[in-house]
Amino acid sequence: MGRRYFKNKNRQKDNPTETTNERTDFSEPLQTDLEKNLENLETILDEPNDLVIRQFPVRNSSHNAAIVYIDGLVNDDEVYNTALKNVQLFTEQADLPSDPDDMFETLHHSIISQADVETTDRLDDVLDNLLYGHTIFYLDGTDTVLIMDTREWETRSIDEPNSETVIRGAREGFIENMRINMVLVRRYIRDPNLRFETFQVGRRSKSNLVLTYIEGVVNPEFVEEIKRRIDTIDIDSVLESGYIEQSVEDSFMSPFPQLFNTERPDRVAAHLEQGKFALILDGSPFVLIAPVVFGTAMQSVEDYFDRWAIGTFLRALRYLAGFIAVFLPALYIALVGFQPDLIPTRLAISIAATREGVPFPPFIEALLMVMTMEILREAGVRLPTTLGETIGIVGGLVIGESAVQAGIVSPIMVIIVALNAIASFTVPQYSVAIGFRIILFGYMIAAAIFGIYGVILAYIMTNIHIANLRSIGVPYSTPFAPFSWRDWAGTVLRLPLPMMTQRPGFLRPPDRISAGNKGDSS
Amino acid sequence: MRKFKYADEKIGHTEIMIALPAMLLGVGILVLPKKLAAETMATDGWVSILAVGIVVIVISCGIAKFVSRFRESSFMDITTQLTGKAIAVVIMLLFGLVMLNVGSYQLRSLVNITEKYILAETPIEVIGLAFLLVVVYAVSGSRAALLRLNIMFFPFIIIIPLLVMLFALPDVEWGRVMPVFQTDFHGYIQGMKSSVLAFTGISILWFYIPHMREPERAPRAVAIGMSVATVLYITWFIFTLVTFGSGVTANLLYPSIELAKSVEIPGEFFERFELVFFVIWTMVLFNGMAMTLDITTLTLTSIFTSVSKRTIIYIVTPLMYFVSMLPRDIVELNRYGTYVGYAMLIYTCFVLVVLFVLSGIRKVK
Repeated sequence: MGRRYFKNKNRQKDNPTETTNERTDFSEPLQTDLEKNLENLETILDEPNDLVIRQFPVRNSSHNAAIVYIDGLVNDDEVYNTALKNVQLFTEQADLPSDPDDMFETLHHSIISQADVETTDRLDDVLDNLLYGHTIFYLDGTDTVLIMDTREWETRSIDEPNSETVIRGAREGFIENMRINMVLVRRYIRDPNLRFETFQVGRRSKSNLVLTYIEGVVNPEFVEEIKRRIDTIDIDSVLESGYIEQSVEDSFMSPFPQLFNTERPDRVAAHLEQGKFALILDGSPFVLIAPVVFGTAMQSVEDYFDRWAIGTFLRALRYLAGFIAVFLPALYIALVGFQPDLIPTRLAISIAATREGVPFPPFIEALLMVMTMEILREAGVRLPTTLGETIGIVGGLVIGESAVQAGIVSPIMVIIVALNAIASFTVPQYSVAIGFRIILFGYMIAAAIFGIYGVILAYIMTNIHIANLRSIGVPYSTPFAPFSWRDWAGTVLRLPLPMMTQRPGFLRPPDRISAGNKGDSS
Repeated sequence: MRKFKYADEKIGHTEIMIALPAMLLGVGILVLPKKLAAETMATDGWVSILAVGIVVIVISCGIAKFVSRFRESSFMDITTQLTGKAIAVVIMLLFGLVMLNVGSYQLRSLVNITEKYILAETPIEVIGLAFLLVVVYAVSGSRAALLRLNIMFFPFIIIIPLLVMLFALPDVEWGRVMPVFQTDFHGYIQGMKSSVLAFTGISILWFYIPHMREPERAPRAVAIGMSVATVLYITWFIFTLVTFGSGVTANLLYPSIELAKSVEIPGEFFERFELVFFVIWTMVLFNGMAMTLDITTLTLTSIFTSVSKRTIIYIVTPLMYFVSMLPRDIVELNRYGTYVGYAMLIYTCFVLVVLFVLSGIRKVK
């Protein structure tokens, strides 16, 4: 719907105005002459100082060879041990054919001891692979080159995920390296049907994006649909999986995320086994999961690690907290400002007493405090960890206490805002919690205009939005509507393990049964 | 390429089942006890509700069975096949006209109660406009989502009346049930005439069943949905009567809300429970209103296929709003509601008979 508003902008920019040295089309074959090839490469890349070109003669022949790589992206030892040393040493003993093409074949198959080697004769292939950390082996006299996978660069070690801490559960989190992230997932699912499909996204960043799912568990329609959507991504660079999320989501106007992100491999594995798919972007520790529904936001992977009663209780608690996170300040505005008769008389009197001398109407009072809370939260994120804690103390205690003392806000308001902020952090999916914080302001405005009638209208509107929202085609309001007892019980409650024998039906998994009852003698 | 099947806009049978109580109960529960109490002795009105309920269940199942026989995906196509294009357009236009008035009546009922109990100082025009805009937002979305909304609010339809009745138990005087069956035959007929108005919403079946994924499951779903509504009407009616007595119920302006007002919640958490009741009931009224506006729009979009749905909503909504503001007081509104209700029900039955006869003549399978 919203796309219509942006259409006109793109229409005007058809004429490229400035001419630069930029070359974008490299789809041409390589030359046979080594010098020319290297010169060409240097011109295109404009001789950066991290480009390493090592030329050397192949013994027993009149031909020169060259190894080209980008320093820092490759493992120097590997290049030396598998390529350079081998070519220089072993060619003395071996009887190399004199024809360059045959010589190239021999080098390829017998001399170079790299495991992952490909050949190509296209310039664009060479450039792509070179910039991705592969090493290129040129031989004079032939237009084919070897591409050796020697990628290795500095990465962070596997760490505890910061954004999703659990009490019970694995302490491993994803890191920025896609390969290691894939390994982390594979270690949970050793099923030969686990699929990893690689896509390249971003015109300039050319990032690798891996779609992973379990064949036979995921509904093939989801896989087809997400592949179609990935193909439509056409942006310069993909710095974080958030770019992917926003490019493939169903509605970009929504405050709710339609793909969830996680740093936890066990969470990804759990979702894959339910019949969802995941997207791993190289360079981002946040893996995307879809299709998700609203109820997924209230689930933590930990619910399944503890016994079922604990999980069920915690989920109920989170729904209550979600309610508080969205409604509390709005209800305060509505009840104190419009319908004080709804509050029990004695409570109403004590609220009125504390509001004695407060110069603002409830809406302004609430807005002041909620905004303060948001500023504190944002400041806490920006500051270094040690300082962040101080901000919490300074903000929470000093500002709240002083504001009450100065008579700007009532103590009840401070309680409400504090409770509201704390409640929003119980939602396990941070991006949903932030969505709650945003629609909170809408509720407050509605309450300021129409009181409790406004709150219910805002609630209806939220529901309308959720009913219309889809995640990769799955209605966001499932399993509440379309309703299914089994899915409802599996999403809102946490069933005892022996009862969790089926995957969620709303994902339409081809293989519905997820657990047997071997131990059940009856 | 195969179509992405999950994202289709088809309706499941649960949606149809729940759409009926959502459509009927909204205004019905608020006005039914008062009318019925005036016409029957003690709690005898339940006989009238039950009789009407059974008749309406039969009629609605008839509609469901009739419509689900057709392969066409809209009511317009079905009528066109049976009567020809010109008459089909007339039938649809009349449906649109009646539905427009139903919507106006629903809107004004909500506005009046909101003004009386919640926002005494706000002009009714503003209350109505705010609500109507929310309804427009809902109708602008997809039709399947609109029916999903019914399911999302359905727990409230059941839980809130049950809660009110549970808390009303201490005030109930079961002696008021007596004397039973003292109403004369004429009284029952009068009672049935009033009860019928609470069941007018069944005309939504004409429009929503063709959109179903499995239309053959419609009759059963319709029967269940209607039974739920009938049972809830009867229990609610009896509870109101045994709490207030026949005479008081007939003279209260909104006995149902007064029933909620009379209850005392243990723990004194809510001082005025009728407010909570009505605020939540707003969601149910919203469901009915949204479906009404949706069908009004649907009749016109199926006639004027080249005009976009959005344009038609923009035309219909101001009309509905304008008409809803016309009745000057509650008496006029009630009379208006009665006319509209009868018009809707008679017209629905009339269309059923005409189409049924025509399908017999033309031997459509």
